[in-house]
Amino acid sequence: MRRFVRSAGYARARLVSGAFFVVFGLAIAVRTAAIAGFSSAALPAYVLGAAMVALGGLRFRDYFAARSGP
Amino acid sequence: MATAAGVSGKAAEEPSLRRSVTPWGSFSWGYSDVGADIFVGLGLVLGAAAGASNVAFLFAGIVYVCIGLAYTELAAAYPVAGGGQYFVFRGLGDIFGFIAGWAVLLDFTIDIVLFAWSCIDYLSKLVPILSFTAHPWVHFIVVFGVIAGLALLNIIGVRESSAFNELVSGLDVVSETTILFFGFLFAFEPQLLIHTMQMSWPTPFNLMNGVSLAIISFVGLESISQAAQETQRPASVIPRTSISLILTILIFALAYSNLALGMATGHTIPLDAHGHAQPLWRYLGNEDNNGAAVAVLASYVPYFGVVAALYVPVLGAILLLISSNSGVFGSSRIAYAMSGTRLLPSAFQRVHPKFRTPAVSILMFCGFAIVELIFAALPSLSPPVRAIYVRLFRGEDGITFLGDLYAFGAAASYSFVFIALIALRLNDSQSPRRFKMPFNVPFTYKGNRVEFPIVAVIGFIGIVSILAFTMITHEIGRVAGPLWIFFGIVGYLIYRRRKGLPMFGSQGHDWRKAQINILQQAGELEMMDEYLANVKVMDERRAAAGGPA
Repeated sequence: MRRFVRSAGYARARLVSGAFFVVFGLAIAVRTAAIAGFSSAALPAYVLGAAMVALGGLRFRDYFAARSGP
Repeated sequence: MATAAGVSGKAAEEPSLRRSVTPWGSFSWGYSDVGADIFVGLGLVLGAAAGASNVAFLFAGIVYVCIGLAYTELAAAYPVAGGGQYFVFRGLGDIFGFIAGWAVLLDFTIDIVLFAWSCIDYLSKLVPILSFTAHPWVHFIVVFGVIAGLALLNIIGVRESSAFNELVSGLDVVSETTILFFGFLFAFEPQLLIHTMQMSWPTPFNLMNGVSLAIISFVGLESISQAAQETQRPASVIPRTSISLILTILIFALAYSNLALGMATGHTIPLDAHGHAQPLWRYLGNEDNNGAAVAVLASYVPYFGVVAALYVPVLGAILLLISSNSGVFGSSRIAYAMSGTRLLPSAFQRVHPKFRTPAVSILMFCGFAIVELIFAALPSLSPPVRAIYVRLFRGEDGITFLGDLYAFGAAASYSFVFIALIALRLNDSQSPRRFKMPFNVPFTYKGNRVEFPIVAVIGFIGIVSILAFTMITHEIGRVAGPLWIFFGIVGYLIYRRRKGLPMFGSQGHDWRKAQINILQQAGELEMMDEYLANVKVMDERRAAAGGPA
């Protein structure tokens, strides 16, 4: 397990899952906007979408920081 | 043995923990504790907040993000094993350090019972004889056996390996993501979600109840700071892993609650007790299923549900068992550390002569856990007691009783952590902080440039609201929680008086020496140099102003 999480394959898998989170988060936000508009009932879904985009962004940042690091 | 190293400046003389926890290890350590919470919290919140369950999770989630940011900053600046108790002890002094530690101890003892209880609830989905509602005595005896077994294993010094922890955490992240993926892809209907929210919006009382229960889905982030003393390069690793963990748990909580409210099931849901059809969220929140809601939800996911119904109860049970064990381990270690700083009697430091584990602490807190189990299980075991509970406590079921106390302990200790963070920002501006909560207002305090954390104030208001909701809505929590704190304070004052220590004040602590030891042991030598330079500048400034160095 530890060897796997240190491998380049794991880093790439995190990058791909980060992209997945960004796309999924944006899809949730767009779909919610289309169906519920900007009502208060839609707020949890918007926060969920934003959190997914943030988690995806974090994975991108980690990946590029590791690549450019020492 | 872990102690809050450096708390009295003696860390250099004591054996220290090996720093072997990697970034993934740090994440999985936290995940195995916090990740289990949604397995317990989802059903309880659905039962209380109905159509506003996602809003309850959102409110608690925003407060949790503030708590997470506070723990991240403090754990990266003070990488020792004491967690929240240590931060409060250092920031606010002995008595508040004791109160925060005592509230954390309440949470750890509840953690032991709540997760052992829920572990058996999950297993009952595969082994019906373990069902709490159908066979309460069997359920009680098995949970009792689990707690006794964990106590025994901890006394003889057996813990699950961190590699096992990492494997289970990894499997669970994949499993939960897969359930959500299939659920949202094949069964989620946004119109149904909006309809449920509009038609089943709870009363303000039930919404407050739901919010106070939702916070239990976010308890345990403390584990990362508990592990800080064993983490490699904690100042840089902890912020990365903490923020990933905060976002992951927030996403799971919001996603599961939205899915539960807006999921159209492929097959029929059993009728309720009155023979009426019921929506999925109500089925998940009833007494039969609220202890194992994630497993039941997963079994209703189209296509994937057939497989999920077989393995999710087992995976959930394993994760919950690890979490229950972390309660046994954490309570004994915090009591040991508090005893070392003379906040608790020295009996809590007594170790078993053969196994070298804090046997007295383990037995005592597992004993408390057994008492809590009896209180939680009594109404289902004895009809006359059930009648008393109905009259006095609105007939709360066992798992809700445990949830009440868990929410109280968490909200109480987190409230102090926010105040400690503000106090440490003002009084210990010399300690380098590799991570800071966002949105700070810089100003000059006692001649030093400091930054006032706005997010900590928001978080404090949020967690105090949740504490108030707990007190308003939980009949048992409002009595038992404050009583725990009250008797703890009485015991503390008697102990301090007998030992001739300040009852309300603090003993003298050499925090500078302690901080140097902490940073040196963490291998954060750059931070240590920065700290020494900051201290030197401050002393020179004070000397120039004619004050004490």
